[in-house]
Amino acid sequence: MSAVTETTAAGNSERARGTSGWAYALPALLLLLIFFVVPVVGLLLRSVLEPEPGLGNYATLFGSSTYLRIFLNTFMVSAVVTALSVVIGFPVAWMLAIMPSRWASVVFAILLLSMWTNLLARTYAWMVLLQRTGVINKTLMNLGLIDQPLALVNNLVGVTIGMTYIMLPFVILPLRGVIKAIDPAILQAASLCGATRWQCLTRVLIPLALPGVAAGALMVFVMSLGYFVTPALLGGTANMMLAEMIAQFVQSLVNWGMGGAAAFVLLVVTLCIYGIQLRLFGAGRLGQGA
Amino acid sequence: MRKTIKMAVVAAALSLTGAASAADLVFTSWGGTTQDAQKAAWADKFASATGANVLMDGPTDYGKIKAMVEAGSVSWDVVDAEGDYAVQAGQNGLLEKLDFNVIDKSKLDPRFVTDYSVGSFYYSFVIGYNAATVSEGPKTWADLFDTQKFPGKRTFYKWSAPGVIEAALLADGVAADKLYPLDLDRAFKKLDTIKGDIVWWTGGAQSQQLLASAEAPYGMFWNGRLTALEQTGVKVGVSWEQNITAADSLVVPKGSKNKDAAMKFIALATSAEGQKDFSIATGYAPTNLGSAALMDEAMRKTLPDAQSASQVNADMNYWAANRDAIGTRWYAWQAE
Repeated sequence: MSAVTETTAAGNSERARGTSGWAYALPALLLLLIFFVVPVVGLLLRSVLEPEPGLGNYATLFGSSTYLRIFLNTFMVSAVVTALSVVIGFPVAWMLAIMPSRWASVVFAILLLSMWTNLLARTYAWMVLLQRTGVINKTLMNLGLIDQPLALVNNLVGVTIGMTYIMLPFVILPLRGVIKAIDPAILQAASLCGATRWQCLTRVLIPLALPGVAAGALMVFVMSLGYFVTPALLGGTANMMLAEMIAQFVQSLVNWGMGGAAAFVLLVVTLCIYGIQLRLFGAGRLGQGA
Repeated sequence: MRKTIKMAVVAAALSLTGAASAADLVFTSWGGTTQDAQKAAWADKFASATGANVLMDGPTDYGKIKAMVEAGSVSWDVVDAEGDYAVQAGQNGLLEKLDFNVIDKSKLDPRFVTDYSVGSFYYSFVIGYNAATVSEGPKTWADLFDTQKFPGKRTFYKWSAPGVIEAALLADGVAADKLYPLDLDRAFKKLDTIKGDIVWWTGGAQSQQLLASAEAPYGMFWNGRLTALEQTGVKVGVSWEQNITAADSLVVPKGSKNKDAAMKFIALATSAEGQKDFSIATGYAPTNLGSAALMDEAMRKTLPDAQSASQVNADMNYWAANRDAIGTRWYAWQAE
């Protein structure tokens, strides 16, 4: 996200002044330094200083099968949510890109409205829909499709449904931009040269849209890694995610050393993923995506 | 243009400092119907008696208290916290000593008074069931842990706090006077037997929603939330058999800028009158021993202090001393 803003900001000012736009970024950088970098460093310090100096917190974190399972679970949920978001989001983004603009703006409005609605309200709505006595189970039972209510909430299924729904716009919006920028003539040329529709999709459209897919997927994956509200409300305790564990350390157990250690591991992992992404696709192409 | 922006910034800054100095006291609690009642019974009365501007904030967050005290920038003056936390935080130097020249502790239930905290209200964990969907509800903790007799989901309090572990031990046949020190191995073994059937509630409102929708037709609840649910027309069954009491406490974070006002606020909140008004609104019990005399007979019968026959008191001092160890194990067990 920040790479996206930085590149566009830099691009604009270069056009305006013909020189580097670093000075313009200074207020933003200062803000980040004071409100982001300093607290993060503080947290890191706590993780190696509390309760006593050393790497004890990290040893506890990596030495416990419970905490390791929470790490694994966090990655698995994030990966599943990312994959589902891309699979569902791609056709929607494509449709948005090729629709008549009047209809596209309606779909756009629906997307944005859902994004602007309070997260907690949306998550509670899923709770009501998915629970054993909820609308979905009642309807399915009345239709005679099932005898017993399905367990759709307080487990992995609930978290996946709720999070995929919330993450979808973050895939659709960058993807739409990329697909829209693809010249339709290229697809026509492909089919003129004898490509089947399937080949047009898999050999032309998807490769060209890949930077958008990567940008969207990265954003969803990274956001999912640190997600709190939806897993806390729709998941059970048996598939707890990392952010919930950090909240427990910080708020409930008031053990900031462990909380800091867990948060720092999450940060490092996120930065690594971002680094890999940059290597594979480059910041410039990411910028195109948004 | 520049000038307008400058003026707008100055105006915004002025209004910000104005808002900050207008609050003479900040009271923090858990939100929901409980804090509404605290506002009506305590904060509004305090405001009209002293002319002070009382700001409500929340929810209570132990991480925030620690952060405020450590940073020396405390914006909460009176906080409603769990009793075991209050005892521990007092020992850890996070709280101001209370001024018992201002707060009259002679009438306060001594179970809930320490140098740093007084009882805010006390509640019981009781067994509740949805009487519209369950004809014969669980009566004892053993019933609630019996998935043969009572199949299906049951709901329990999610956080590590006095209550669920005690209930598990009582269900397993531990005598009430032999609960402490808690046999954690035994408690978790008992909890394992119903783990797959537990839906956890994280707050009072969620517990009400789970019971009312029969998502979990029975469970362990704060008694006041059942009273409130009953008042909305939901058919609720309650069993007070071996109800487990725990208390919330009122505390003042160390470094509060309005310490004097905080003491006066606590004095009013724990007065016989203040405790009576809060109890009537919530169904929780007063911590002032003089409040009962001010209430009518019918009301008194519904409160935890009228249910003392088989009542079990959670040991706040034991919990304060073992809070961290139990909590770490509790959350690890939940995540298994």
